[in-house]
Amino acid sequence: MRSTPPFIRRLSDGAGAAGAAYRAGLAAALAQTPVLLGRAVFYGVCLMVLITFWDKVAAHRLPGTLAARLPAGGLGTYVGVTEWVTLSVPAVHFKLEDDIRAGALEPHLLRPKSYLAQTLAGQAGFMTARLVMLGAAGLLLLALFARTWPSVPTMGAVFTLGVTGAAIGLLLLTLVGLTAFWLRRVLPPMLIVQKLAFLLGGLFAPIAFYPGWLYRLAWFSPFGAHLAFAGAAIIGPPSWTGFATMLALQSFWLAALTALAVLVWRAGLRKTLREGV
Amino acid sequence: MAPALDDLRALVTAYAAQALAAIRQSFADRTNFALQVGAMAVNNGFWLVLWFLFFAGFKEVGGWRLPDVARLLGIVYVLFGASGVFFGGYRDLAGSILTGAIDALLTQPKPILLRLLARDSIPSAWGDIATGLVILAFSAGLDPAAAGLSLAAILIGTAAWLATTTIFASLAFWAAGARSLSRDLADFTLLVSTYPASIYSGWTKFVAFTVLPAGFVAMAPVELVRAPSWQAAAIAVGGAGAYAAVALGVWTLGLARYRRGAAVAG
Amino acid sequence: MNPAVRLKELRKTYRFAKARRGLLGSLAGLLHPQFTHLEAVGGVSFEIAAGERVAIIGPNGAGKSTTLKMLCGVLEPSGGEASVLGFTPWKERRRLAYEIGVVFGQRSQLWTELPVRDSFALLRRVYDQPEDAFARRQGDLVERFGVGALLDQPVNRLSLGQRMRCEIVAALLHAPKLLFLDEPTIGLDVTAKAAIRDFIREQSQAEGQTVLLTSHDTRDIELVCERVIVINAGRIVLDEPTEQLRRYIARKLVTLQSAAPQLALDLPGVTRRPSEPHTTILEIDTRATRVDAVIARALALGGIEDVTVEDPPMEEVVHEIYAALHP
Repeated sequence: MRSTPPFIRRLSDGAGAAGAAYRAGLAAALAQTPVLLGRAVFYGVCLMVLITFWDKVAAHRLPGTLAARLPAGGLGTYVGVTEWVTLSVPAVHFKLEDDIRAGALEPHLLRPKSYLAQTLAGQAGFMTARLVMLGAAGLLLLALFARTWPSVPTMGAVFTLGVTGAAIGLLLLTLVGLTAFWLRRVLPPMLIVQKLAFLLGGLFAPIAFYPGWLYRLAWFSPFGAHLAFAGAAIIGPPSWTGFATMLALQSFWLAALTALAVLVWRAGLRKTLREGV
Repeated sequence: MAPALDDLRALVTAYAAQALAAIRQSFADRTNFALQVGAMAVNNGFWLVLWFLFFAGFKEVGGWRLPDVARLLGIVYVLFGASGVFFGGYRDLAGSILTGAIDALLTQPKPILLRLLARDSIPSAWGDIATGLVILAFSAGLDPAAAGLSLAAILIGTAAWLATTTIFASLAFWAAGARSLSRDLADFTLLVSTYPASIYSGWTKFVAFTVLPAGFVAMAPVELVRAPSWQAAAIAVGGAGAYAAVALGVWTLGLARYRRGAAVAG
Repeated sequence: MNPAVRLKELRKTYRFAKARRGLLGSLAGLLHPQFTHLEAVGGVSFEIAAGERVAIIGPNGAGKSTTLKMLCGVLEPSGGEASVLGFTPWKERRRLAYEIGVVFGQRSQLWTELPVRDSFALLRRVYDQPEDAFARRQGDLVERFGVGALLDQPVNRLSLGQRMRCEIVAALLHAPKLLFLDEPTIGLDVTAKAAIRDFIREQSQAEGQTVLLTSHDTRDIELVCERVIVINAGRIVLDEPTEQLRRYIARKLVTLQSAAPQLALDLPGVTRRPSEPHTTILEIDTRATRVDAVIARALALGGIEDVTVEDPPMEEVVHEIYAALHP
């Protein structure tokens, strides 16, 4: 133990604390089973409306429209995936707003571990519970709506891209929450980010249906990495290179958004330490 | 006849006084008010953009085209906004029941439900009214007949919407956990309401006309504007009336239960 | 031996952008902001020895919490020096954090949905405590604070008094040298308050922890702390052993409702405050006369309908101390 370099020890201590926060977040989510079930019901209602909608579109394939490009089974499984990711991301922005605005930051600042890291780890635990719960509900709902389940390799790709996409969503909402250092309410930036995620992430329809320029914008934006990749994987199982490209792009956004969150957090913390809450 | 008329006048006056106070209260923080109204307008505009993109690619869904959806959204936004501005208490009616806010009102002579609905006014609802009116002006034009029908649809839809949310909130008389449930049910109904009526059939249509009665909040009133007929009018008015009757019945039953409970507890 | 806390001429000045009227005014404010300065703390100096239990009190907005924030490292001062357990708090916040334990009476540090034990396990990782030593320490504290039966219950099912005992154990788990308590008895009933005070005092005596406490309850100060620092308008107005302040703190207000419009009650150390007929408000110096003696005498008079016993509000106590110092 004595011979471990201090840097390595600090890193492993930090990981240990984050791991403990992750487990606590997961346990807290599981302790509120009715809330999780309520989330699953909400997921079910969203799917009911959207699947009904896309089935209607697919039922009358109007010539000369995009309907010709609809996948054989319609977009039921597609919205199943994008809604799964969207509804799994916890409302970390409201937690950050509460802590930052109500002065609840102080008890955390009096601890030796980073508040941001501990909070993100706890919320990731929370998100894990939702991903599992809604994932199971999704498979059940697809069976209910008489959809065939995707093949195992496709499910693997969707799972990987979906979980990474959810992590990107968590970071996007974290950035929204950190604006609370400067704004009184985070709701306005949240609405903007949410709507951008719906549009550029392709929550309701694949971004491949968009006009070329909008498609490219969506593909290279963090919102595409958040939702559209997992959705794309379920309509047309990706090639290995396609899968690797999407995962690489997701990794880039994961790193970039993490770095940005750390920078914004540090700026906000400096402001708080100087000016008080 | 005259005493009944006096009662009605007293009722309306009491409601108007309370609603006016709530609206003025919602204006108090002007920055917050402007921000909420603006955010809601942007939010609604975004949905319109999404629909625009959809129809650019797909032309129609079950016979509905962009103008039909625009009319639907216009009517739903206005009726939703009007409910929020003039009857904003509906949003947390279950909370009012659960936190004992009705105790004080029980000691006063005026009907409780109307007072509770009027005691809050939601600032962002003005954003709904504004976007809804702009959409209606563009999609229906300024044709007086269309405007009259739209107004009728909005009034009928508002009644159905308030009746529906009152039924959901009344669950709180029976179950303590109904606060978030009633809000969720209202949100689900709204979600179903904002899609073209033509997509629902079979069991989804059954859901939309029963548990989550978007059918009477949006579909039937909008159909009255889309294809006016005596039959369409009868369905819209009858549906809203039936739900209003059920709402009043459930509310009265719940209140009676509450009073018994309060009497035992006291 | 070095003092645990040493502040020298610590100052904090806040700067606010002046709000201007109207739309044009607020636009101008964005372009050319004008600032007002508010001195929250204007040169505070004191030392606290290791193992001392000190109350820091003062009316709301007096600069008390600003001082404490600077002392913990969550606020940077505008000037002056501070050393807490050998660290400069705002420069070495993380390292200082390992050495201090914090209890906020109005804010739970435990996960509300989880069993108490789970929050403790999380804190072990947050403070990098070795497992076996931690388990021993947790066992000791759990026994001393009598929370063994609570460990497996979710925090949201505990009573406020039970929760507060767990909060204090949580703050002590990493063996801090300095314990910082902000309103530790707020909202508790009389019995729970008494228990918490005993626990804190005994804990500090057993392990030699330095305790810094703020409270609006004079009994917290009287029963836990040996020394009181009073801050008002950003400055220290008094720094005395608690013993010296007993004449301000050791007081009770007894309110009697009686059938008779007036009560004749004359006892040493009891003064009468102005009141309505049928109500008698007595201020008792408990060093001279005990509360039960006053009540017994009142009951002996007959016709007493109601009795309330209260502590004088902290604002009033501070005001009196201040007035006594600046006649």
